[in-house]
Amino acid sequence: MTEYAVIGKGLPRIDGMAKVTGQAKYSVDVKLSRQLHGKILRSPHAHARILSIDTRAAERLSGVKAVLTGTDVSHMRYAFVDTPRYPADGHPLAQDKVRYIGDEVAAVAAVDEDTALEALDLIRVDYELLPAVFTAEEAMEFDAPLIHDRDYADDSSSAWEDWGVSRTATSLADYDRNNLSGRTHVSFGDVDDAFKRSYLVREDRFETKATAHAALEPHAAVADWDAGGKLNMYIGSMSVFYKRFILAKIFGLPAQNVRVHKTWVGGAFGGKVDVFPYEVAAALLSQRTARPVKIELTREEVFTTTRQRHPTIIHIKTGVARDGTILGQEYKFIADNGAYRGSGAIVIFLGYAMNIPVYRVPNLRYDGYSVYTNNPIRGPQRGHGAPQMRFAVDSQLHMIAEELGRDPVDVALKNARDPGEVIPSIEDVLHTCGTKECIRGAAKASGWKEKRADLTRRQGRKKRGIGMSACAMFSGGAYYPFASAAIVKLEEDGGATLFIGAIDFGQGCDTTMAQIAAEELGIRLEDIKVVSGDTETCPIDVGNFLGGGTLVTGTAVKEAAAAAREKLFEVAAEMLDVSPELLVARDGHVRHHLHEEVSLPISRVVRQSVVKNDGNPIICMGHRQIVKGVDRYPSLAKAKGRWTDAYGFAAHFAEVEVDTETGHVALLKATTYHDCGYPINRQIVEGQVEGCVSNAQGQALSESIDLEDGHLMNASFLTYRLPTSLDTPCYADGIVETNDPNGPFGAKEVGEGALAGLLAAVANAIYDATGLRIKELPITPDSILRAQAARDQENKAVGLTEAAVAPSIG
Amino acid sequence: MRRLIEIDVNGDVHDLAVLPHDTLLEALRDGLGLTGTKKGCDEGTCGACTVLLDGKPVLSCLMLATDAVGRRVETIEGQALGDQTTNLQRAFVEKGAVQCGFCTPGFILSAKALLAEKPNPTEQEIKEAISGNLCRCTGYVKIVDAIKAAADATS
Repeated sequence: MTEYAVIGKGLPRIDGMAKVTGQAKYSVDVKLSRQLHGKILRSPHAHARILSIDTRAAERLSGVKAVLTGTDVSHMRYAFVDTPRYPADGHPLAQDKVRYIGDEVAAVAAVDEDTALEALDLIRVDYELLPAVFTAEEAMEFDAPLIHDRDYADDSSSAWEDWGVSRTATSLADYDRNNLSGRTHVSFGDVDDAFKRSYLVREDRFETKATAHAALEPHAAVADWDAGGKLNMYIGSMSVFYKRFILAKIFGLPAQNVRVHKTWVGGAFGGKVDVFPYEVAAALLSQRTARPVKIELTREEVFTTTRQRHPTIIHIKTGVARDGTILGQEYKFIADNGAYRGSGAIVIFLGYAMNIPVYRVPNLRYDGYSVYTNNPIRGPQRGHGAPQMRFAVDSQLHMIAEELGRDPVDVALKNARDPGEVIPSIEDVLHTCGTKECIRGAAKASGWKEKRADLTRRQGRKKRGIGMSACAMFSGGAYYPFASAAIVKLEEDGGATLFIGAIDFGQGCDTTMAQIAAEELGIRLEDIKVVSGDTETCPIDVGNFLGGGTLVTGTAVKEAAAAAREKLFEVAAEMLDVSPELLVARDGHVRHHLHEEVSLPISRVVRQSVVKNDGNPIICMGHRQIVKGVDRYPSLAKAKGRWTDAYGFAAHFAEVEVDTETGHVALLKATTYHDCGYPINRQIVEGQVEGCVSNAQGQALSESIDLEDGHLMNASFLTYRLPTSLDTPCYADGIVETNDPNGPFGAKEVGEGALAGLLAAVANAIYDATGLRIKELPITPDSILRAQAARDQENKAVGLTEAAVAPSIG
Repeated sequence: MRRLIEIDVNGDVHDLAVLPHDTLLEALRDGLGLTGTKKGCDEGTCGACTVLLDGKPVLSCLMLATDAVGRRVETIEGQALGDQTTNLQRAFVEKGAVQCGFCTPGFILSAKALLAEKPNPTEQEIKEAISGNLCRCTGYVKIVDAIKAAADATS
């Protein structure tokens, strides 16, 4: 095991002090001179035509400086997915129709918040109500109301085309269902034949609800144009370069004329990637008024009008051999996209792509549908399709294991992939794959065998059970800007400044990147200063929403620091009169690798470089394409094309206690083993995994967006139930080090993937405890009590007692 | 029409012109520029706006600014003395209890109030004291560890 000086250690975060003293400024904290307050007028109807908008009274109100409606933004068409096949279907303010309750209709800027709110009340909108549809299954029927009835492909290019994908004629009429915002189909082998050959075939239906990111910092934007025509944005974001691209495109500006400034971000979890209407509104209002404009969403607006996780209906049919080996699997993945495209076309691709790296499936048919409904918009959220799919697959695999009389861990191990395997259709090679080590390690650490042998766990009012699941996640996907770069600038005091375009919203990238640079340069973490997340002062970056932060940006940083170190050696070699190959950098010195006393402080070498090399202060760059040799995202519709250079893997073992009287499920212990290649910072890796578990715990047991005819009924933390400190389980974290050749120091993804594996683990644990198999998330006390009542009814009908239906041990 | 009030924040007495319905949170953030206290929900459901009022934790988004007159308000900015950070602040950093940091000021103040009352709290007492502060990043594990460590450091 390699011993490193800086990396691998759980060193404290470099931004910790700023945060514990309240000094760290988030976008909600930004206040510029002469700043105006912006507010958005939103549709109260789920589906309606806009007949007219009268803003005159609002414009006349004292203190109101500008009012915008759809006509002001009719030339601004954009979306998170904008391809020739899936052209952008949204404008910052509604054009002819509103499609969900909360849809943006108008925007105002005023001298204070109260005036802005009053102005909203003075805007008169005439709506013609249209029939609405609120479930994906209903919306897919051809007699359902059509939510998007325009062909969006016009003269302007889609974002994908700007990035090099050629336009092909694709008719939406090709689609085999109504109201589709995306369609994915993958098949290989002969799945029907596989089912015929199977010893056992199971077919099951699963359902998951929409969930909220619930980042503590509400969404906010401050926009400010300078006299030179440059747009300055202060926004909580997960990718400053993606936001810059879209804003520049829709404002018709060269990229350089949009600057996204660095602010700290109070959590994101996938919910701060899209360019949002309030950001565009702030920019346009600022342009109109020639003053900074700030729009801060209320918590209710955050719940309703930003993004949610896709609710899904998943049908899975699986055929296995007698020993549990999967012979074939058929999936139907239906995602309720909401009123606009959001990331629907992507999530149905990920339902395949994030699932297939876990188990070997030789014969497969996958059909994904993302469906428009008049519900709020669904977008990326931690795991993005993987949590829903892994919940379904591993719940069913546990059922299959039980029917075969086998240990679910053995069945999982039988099917888990090995290093060297190639992902079908996508053709990524698993250079490392630690799924089996994760499963074995977590099985042992959680006491799987002992707990399952304990028959007393199913006795009494409070029953205990244990369940498991595994998951996978990519380490960066080929998406704009397709690469990360890094700059290392050596300082005369022997330290260094690191410039990266990455944005730290809690996942710790500033610290881990600094650790990589410090390791390469042979200096301490505290000797590195990080300048990050600013599109003007920092180089391009993959952004921190694709799992690529460590692998892609980390490699660029390592390369930049190594290049700077080589320059140091050139100068030091001359000063010490030794060959540069004999030098190492350690403890802030350049030293002869054998004769430690032959050394120079790095500070002296840097100063010498300036003096002796015509002022060269040593500034070096590194860069890495997100996926080497790949210049674009794979085909979303066919899941063809390479899209990542490494996958992270995890296995979860959950122990629960079910109170059969109240239905309450307590997560007692969460054991998670994560293959992240190598942990650059152990403490940060643990923190990310613990956060994933907490997030998943909420989504398994208590979190759901409750909608009634498009109305969000629980847009508050009081009624949208996040885990609190009182719900914290015992944690056991394990890190499996597989040392991926593609990652810096062997490191790959951590921080997003681990969420997906806890959901089935909890559902399986509940089954283990009570014999209740629940296939809908979240599993609330209500779910438990209803399932119990249904089972009691069933048993009464056949004259069985509780003892007789306890699940078999196996 | 704004009204002039005097409030004691972190030991300094400030004159502020406030509207009758301005909350203490708004007075701190907008009136005094003390942005360390955060607005997470503005309806008392997340704890990010926690400040100490005469030593006791309160949700400043549910308090009127005028109700703070004659009371002693403590925010996160008043914790460190120059570069002398408190045991709690250092423990939060050392134990990895800070990720995005948005909830952190609220937690530190809730914890401070707890430790003032119970210098050696049990794990359960810690969890109860901070149960009104939401965190989406950490899963609370390292926050509890940090508060325990701060308690140990103080005793």
